[in-house]
Amino acid sequence: MTRPLTGIRIADFTVHNAGPFCTNLLSQLGAEVIKIESAVRPDAFRKPHPVYGRMGPATFDQVASTKLSVRLNLKKPEAVALAKRLVAISDVAAESFRPGVLDRLGLGYEVLRAVKHDIVLLAVSSSGQYGPDKHFAGYAPLFGAWGGLSDLTGYADGPPVEMRHVMDHTVGMNSAVAVLAALHRRDATGEGALVDVSAREVASSLCGEALLLAAAGGEPKRMGNDHPRMAPHGVYPCLGEDRWVSIAVASDAEWRALAGIIGVSDARFASEAARHGLRGEIDALVARWTATLPADEAAARLQAVGIAAHASWDTAVLTADQHLRTRGALVEVQEPGGKCRAAVKVPMRLSKGADIGIQRGTPGLGEHEDYVYGELLGMGRAERQALEESEVIY
Amino acid sequence: MTFPLPSLRIAVHASGVAAAYAGRMLGGMGAQVLLIEPPQGTPLRREPPFLPGGGQVSALFAYLSHGASFQSFDLTNEAGQAALHALLSQSDIFLDDTPLAAREALGLDEAAIAARHPGLIHVSVLPFGATGEKAHWKGEEINLQHASGEGYLLPNGLSIEQFPDRPPVKIHGHFAEMQGGIAAALGALAASRVRPEIGGQYVDISCQDAMLSVGAFAIQRFGDGQVEHRVERSFRYGGVLPCADGFVELLTLEQRQWDGLVELLGRPEWALDPALEDSLERSRRGPELNKHIRAWAAVRKVEDIVREGQKLSVPLAKYNTPAEVLRDPHERERGLFQPVEVPGAGMLDMLVSPVQFDGASSSFGQSTL
Repeated sequence: MTRPLTGIRIADFTVHNAGPFCTNLLSQLGAEVIKIESAVRPDAFRKPHPVYGRMGPATFDQVASTKLSVRLNLKKPEAVALAKRLVAISDVAAESFRPGVLDRLGLGYEVLRAVKHDIVLLAVSSSGQYGPDKHFAGYAPLFGAWGGLSDLTGYADGPPVEMRHVMDHTVGMNSAVAVLAALHRRDATGEGALVDVSAREVASSLCGEALLLAAAGGEPKRMGNDHPRMAPHGVYPCLGEDRWVSIAVASDAEWRALAGIIGVSDARFASEAARHGLRGEIDALVARWTATLPADEAAARLQAVGIAAHASWDTAVLTADQHLRTRGALVEVQEPGGKCRAAVKVPMRLSKGADIGIQRGTPGLGEHEDYVYGELLGMGRAERQALEESEVIY
Repeated sequence: MTFPLPSLRIAVHASGVAAAYAGRMLGGMGAQVLLIEPPQGTPLRREPPFLPGGGQVSALFAYLSHGASFQSFDLTNEAGQAALHALLSQSDIFLDDTPLAAREALGLDEAAIAARHPGLIHVSVLPFGATGEKAHWKGEEINLQHASGEGYLLPNGLSIEQFPDRPPVKIHGHFAEMQGGIAAALGALAASRVRPEIGGQYVDISCQDAMLSVGAFAIQRFGDGQVEHRVERSFRYGGVLPCADGFVELLTLEQRQWDGLVELLGRPEWALDPALEDSLERSRRGPELNKHIRAWAAVRKVEDIVREGQKLSVPLAKYNTPAEVLRDPHERERGLFQPVEVPGAGMLDMLVSPVQFDGASSSFGQSTL
C-alpha cells in the first residue's frame, strides 16, 4: 500500500518555518524529503532564539521530523554542482531564500530546469518573486502586518495584534497545496512549474472578505471578539485563574436554549439584531454564569443543548485531549535520543492507503549522507571524503 | 500556459466557510467548481459582512464563491438526491460540510457515497472532524481558535501590556475555518494522486486539527517542557511600535539585523553598550530596550521608518489597513487583486490567489465557468 506522495522526492533548501513546514507536511504524506543544510550556517531554527526569550532550540523538531538530512555548503562551487545532481533526481525543489539568492547561487529556475526538465520549484518568500518589495526581509508578524490581517485583529480600542507562527505555518500549508497542484499538472502534461508563494499575500487571502469590503468603499476595523451578526459571541471567564470558554450563539433557538440555562428571561433579547445591539449587557449575564463553572464543563453543557462552545485550552490540556488522540491529530514522536514529545500530524484522515504521518524524529545534521550521497547519487567513499575535507560536504 | 487543475471537477456542498474555502482554493488553481445549494441558497449568502449599498450582498460569500458556478438541489426529496448523484458521478471531488447527524437522511453519508461513487474523492469538512468523541460538536470560528491552542495565546506584546485583564482576543475573520479549507484542499489533492491506483476514498478533515497543525510550534514547546502563555510569548523587544501616524512591526532575530537597527536608531549611546552585543543580554534587558525603541518610533512616521529600515535590512513592516493593501504598488504589480463582477454590487477588486504558477496570479477569468 502506498502513501499519496510515495515516489516523490524533494530537494529541500528551505529554512526557518514556512517552507520547512510545507515540506514536513509533504513528507508526512509520503514524499522523500532531503533537507539540505550546512554546519557553516545551520537552519536558524536549530539554534536558540533569544528575542523570543527562548534559550534552547526552537521549533526545529516538528518541521524537521521525517526528513533526511545532508550537509552541503552552498558557498562552494562544487556544492552547487552537487545540489544540481540532487535536483536532477528529485521531483520538487523547495527554497525560501530572499528572491534572487537562488539565482546568485547558480541554482535559479532555468538552471534547475536544464538539469531536470519537469522540476517543480517551490519558492516561498515574504513578498513573492517579483514586484517592488520582493527584496523585503520578513517573518510571520511582518507578513500579517503587510497583508492587512493584523490591522484587523485586536481589541476595537487597542493596537493591531501580531500574527505568530500560525502565520508561517499556514503559508507552508498553502504551499503544500500548490505543490500538489503543480505535480498534478506535471503528471498530466509533463510540464514543471515555478510556484511563487508570497507570505504577505497568504495573510491577505485570510482576510479576503474584508479586502473586498474595502474595495467596495467599506471600512472594516478591529472588533475584538465581536461577530458582525452573532450575539452573544465571545470569550468568557470561568472558574480558576485565567480560564475561559468561547461561546457563539448562531440563532434565536440557540439563544433561547442559552437563556434557559443561564436563567435570563428578557424579551428585549428576542431577536438577533436586538441582542447584537445589547451585546455588552448580554455578555455580562453570560459571564456571570460561566464564572461559576470549569471551562470544559460550561462548554459540555452548552454543546449538549446545541450551542457552539469550547474551552480556551493551553497546550497542557490540548495535548492530553482524547478526541485529538482518537483522531491521531496529536501523536507521540520518539527522538533519536529516546525522548518522547507531542507532535502534530498532517491534518487529515484518509480511509485508504498506508498510514500517513510522522515516520521518524529529528535527523542529525548530515545523518543520511550514506543513503543520499552514497546510494542515490552513487558517490564513492573517497569522493565524499575529499568533498568533506574541502568543506563542500560540511 | 495552463493552470494546474483544469481537468478536476469539484462539487462543493457548503454551508460554512471551511468547505467553501477549499473549493475556492482549488478553483484558483484552475479546477471547475460547482457550488451545490439548497433551494433557499446556502446560508453563506446571508452571512455578514455585507457590501455597502444596503443590498445585503455578502462580502464573505462573494469572496468564497468567486469563480464557482451554482446549482440548486432539493436534497429533501428523491428527485433532488438523484440529480445530485448524477452530478457526483461526473465529479472527481466532493466537498461536504453537512453535520454528521443530517447526512444519512440526505443520502450524503460515507457509506452511501462510497457505494454509489467508488471512484469519488469524498472530503468531509467539519469543525471537529467526522471521527472521535467531538465529531457531533458544533464549532464556530471563535470556538475553533480556542479549541486548538492559538486562541489562548493571543494577544501578545503591546496589546496585552495595555489590556492585561481582558479575555484573549481572536484572529480576525475565519482564520481557523480557512485552515480547515486549506487542509481539505490538501487532502483532496493527496487522495487524487493515488486514485488511479486505489480508487476513490473518504477524507476526514477537522478544522480543529488543521488549526492545531498550524499551531505546531506551541505543541513543540510543550514537548520541550514549556506551556506557552500569551504574556510570556511576547517578543522581548520590538513587536508592535506606535508611530506618529500608525503602527510598524519590528522583529530582529539575527545579529546583523540588530546591528542594522542600531544604525537605524542613529547609534544612540544606550544601544552601544558593549553588553548588548550579546543576544542573550538583549533578551534579558528587552523591556528596557523597548522603552528606548518605542520613544524613538513615537515621533517618527511609519513610511520613513520602514523605508530607512529596509535599506539597512532591518525587518520592519507597516501595519497596512485593508484600503492600503488594495492600493499597494507591490500588489498592483503582482496582480493580487483583479476586477471582478460581483452580482448585486458591480465591478470590484477581488483578491484572486496568494499563489502564482509560472508568474500568473490566478486562473480565474480564464476558466470556462
